[in-house]
Amino acid sequence: MSAVRRFIGSPEGVIGALLLLVLAAIALLAPLLFPGDPLRIAGRPLLVPFADPAFPLGTDRLGRNVLAGLVHGARASLLVGIAAALVAVAIGAIIGTLAGFAGGLVDEALMRVVDAFQIVPGFLLALAFVSVAQPTLPVVIFAIALGAWTGPARLARAEVLSIRERDYVASARIIGMHPLEIALREVLPNAIPPVLALSAVIVAGAVLTEAALSFLGLGDPNIVTWGSMIAEGRSVLRSAPYLSIVPGLALVATVIGVYLFGEGLATMLARRDRA
Amino acid sequence: MALYSRRRVLQGAGLLLASTALPSWSFAQDTPSGGRLIVAADSEPRNLNPAIVASNGVFFISSKVIEALAEADFEAEGGVVPRLAVSWEGSEDGLSATFKLREGVVWHDGQPFTSADVAFSAIEVWKPLQNLGRIVFANLESVDTPDDLTAVFNFSKPTPFQLLRNALPVVTSVLPRHLYEGTDIAANPANAALVGTGPFKFAEYRPGEYYRLERNAEYWGEGQPRLDEIIYRVLPDRAAAAGALEAEEIHLAAFSAVPLADLARISQVPGIEVVSKGYEGLTYQLVVEINHRRAELANVEVRRAIAHAIDKQFVIDTIFLGYAKPATGLVPQNAPEFYNPDVPQYDFDVAKANELLDAAGYPRGANGVRFSLKLLPAPYFNETRQFGDYLRQALAEIGIDAQLVNNDSAAHQKAVYTDHDFDLAVAPPVFRGDPAISTTILLRSGTPAGVSFSNQGGYANAEIDALIDQAAETVDTEARTALYNTLQEKVAEDLPLINVAEWGFITVARTSVLNVGNNPRWAVSNWADVALEQ
Repeated sequence: MSAVRRFIGSPEGVIGALLLLVLAAIALLAPLLFPGDPLRIAGRPLLVPFADPAFPLGTDRLGRNVLAGLVHGARASLLVGIAAALVAVAIGAIIGTLAGFAGGLVDEALMRVVDAFQIVPGFLLALAFVSVAQPTLPVVIFAIALGAWTGPARLARAEVLSIRERDYVASARIIGMHPLEIALREVLPNAIPPVLALSAVIVAGAVLTEAALSFLGLGDPNIVTWGSMIAEGRSVLRSAPYLSIVPGLALVATVIGVYLFGEGLATMLARRDRA
Repeated sequence: MALYSRRRVLQGAGLLLASTALPSWSFAQDTPSGGRLIVAADSEPRNLNPAIVASNGVFFISSKVIEALAEADFEAEGGVVPRLAVSWEGSEDGLSATFKLREGVVWHDGQPFTSADVAFSAIEVWKPLQNLGRIVFANLESVDTPDDLTAVFNFSKPTPFQLLRNALPVVTSVLPRHLYEGTDIAANPANAALVGTGPFKFAEYRPGEYYRLERNAEYWGEGQPRLDEIIYRVLPDRAAAAGALEAEEIHLAAFSAVPLADLARISQVPGIEVVSKGYEGLTYQLVVEINHRRAELANVEVRRAIAHAIDKQFVIDTIFLGYAKPATGLVPQNAPEFYNPDVPQYDFDVAKANELLDAAGYPRGANGVRFSLKLLPAPYFNETRQFGDYLRQALAEIGIDAQLVNNDSAAHQKAVYTDHDFDLAVAPPVFRGDPAISTTILLRSGTPAGVSFSNQGGYANAEIDALIDQAAETVDTEARTALYNTLQEKVAEDLPLINVAEWGFITVARTSVLNVGNNPRWAVSNWADVALEQ
């Protein structure tokens, strides 16, 4: 409970959490707020914002409701961000734990694989992966995770290196637990918290990477995402800039929210360590 | 991308101007000469050889390097003016056609151009390999070359000369025999580094950056070409073309590279003009290609339902912003010689479309969906992509769930025309003055896989095939037109594909570019008379 109090004590964490809560609520309620396909042609094309109460944020080139796109786009952005971070953290934590716990040759081999992934820029990796496979949502998530799992892997390994010397690990060994069992049941859970703090950064990065992929036309064309909305608005940027600005602002709000939340999380963990 | 900074381009242009200004002034006092024209290119075709791939994306670059026997013209009799041929004549029976060739023409590598090049191109390339030539020259048997400047085409069955003449600018790009003979023509390196007789030589290609063509000093046209160089800057981002024009980084953007939504604004910018002339010979048709291998789509009632689901007026008003006309059938309205307005029409009627689908035995499932389709919009134009977005929504209204698949040009062509990995595709085929050139190929069965812009949907209708074959051999103009009128009726009835709209393109150029849009195929003509005001 004291951890929660510490989190609340950090203003940036609270602001971030509030922003994320609002976004999550919007994302979860999207099918209720705007039922049906948000890409449906709903009205006159290129209505400017605040002109028609039925379309508070206007309509795009084909007459699709910008607000509906924005709300449904929050689903895609958050889904991709969180799922990619989960996959990255899961892969990273498991590989890092195994490497750190096993040591020796296994450690060397796994860490060289991590190096190999780290030297390729994450966005480039995602770009290559998506253009080879078909751009569907799971592929995009996996492609982003592919470039993001190395950070958690290194962090988890460093944590494990210190944890494995602790007494409770030694006692687990003595009572005859299988090494793999020790690694996954005793060491991994204790190595996870700092890795989780890192995950906020990964979520923010993943949201941006997804938007960039969609902007380049490498997203799933059948769902609305903020990146594809910005790309869509680009052809009329001079005459209808709001089409790109509105989803751009949403993107900024999300990334700031995730970032502040991550800051709060990190502060909380740092104070725990000091205590 | 930034390699061609403006300063470097201007410096280069200045140096080149200094080196060529004196000689060119001697015979062209009034029209300026020299300079480097920088043009926006939106795609990078895999194969640049216009004798194999007769499409406008290829012609846009290659027509400056490789010439055809004749070119379209606004005023000339029969609509064509001489290029590599100086005169032509068809026999009464339609079994032969004689071309007199231009004297003193040399290839870019210095070899003389002769009738042997024409004979080789016709027999070895146009007829067997070219997407359009294999139709126009289907009955070409041999080409006699009685002397270096005469080529006589012999046909096994009557071939209407009217068709040949209409087709000359498109299907007769002549290749150098000495570089192609005895090689694998489809894989010849000259397909990328073109060698021709045209006003410009192919100089350089940097993938993702630019193509560079340079002046052919040996060109046969007196005082031509006017330009020293043409740079095609690869600008795949269409929104960038308008900005590049305003920043004077490029001089010209053809094929509506500047989005239609931007035209009203950019026409007000001083120093920039919007030209709609120069596309009369290349009417584009917005077409829904159908894969008849899908059981649902093989059912004509389903195809009719899809036709009823498309609101053509919405497409014209919203996607084309009025710069297009709704299509009534296979032949566009601006081809009065062949256009037949009396064919079945499919008005926008969602209720009727739903009825047709219910009656055809495809009821809506629990989620309101009858069946799912894979929809591949061609990536070549803003409009084809936007129509893809629209079509997905229009189909959703009648319970068909269309999943969009976006590809780049190369992947799209492979998916549709080689692998047949599509259910519906959005295509922009071109009507080129005669249905037999590039329109009947969209319907005729039997084209092998891999031929782009042809019937790869597996549609086979013996009646339509027979009409096409008969018209291709009918020399009498009236009888031929009647056959095409019947064809239009049959196509509108059976809907092997769905014609939605027809449009011409828009060129946006700096006012310093002279002679823009001065022939009906201007963007894909040789640009020998295009000049830059200094």
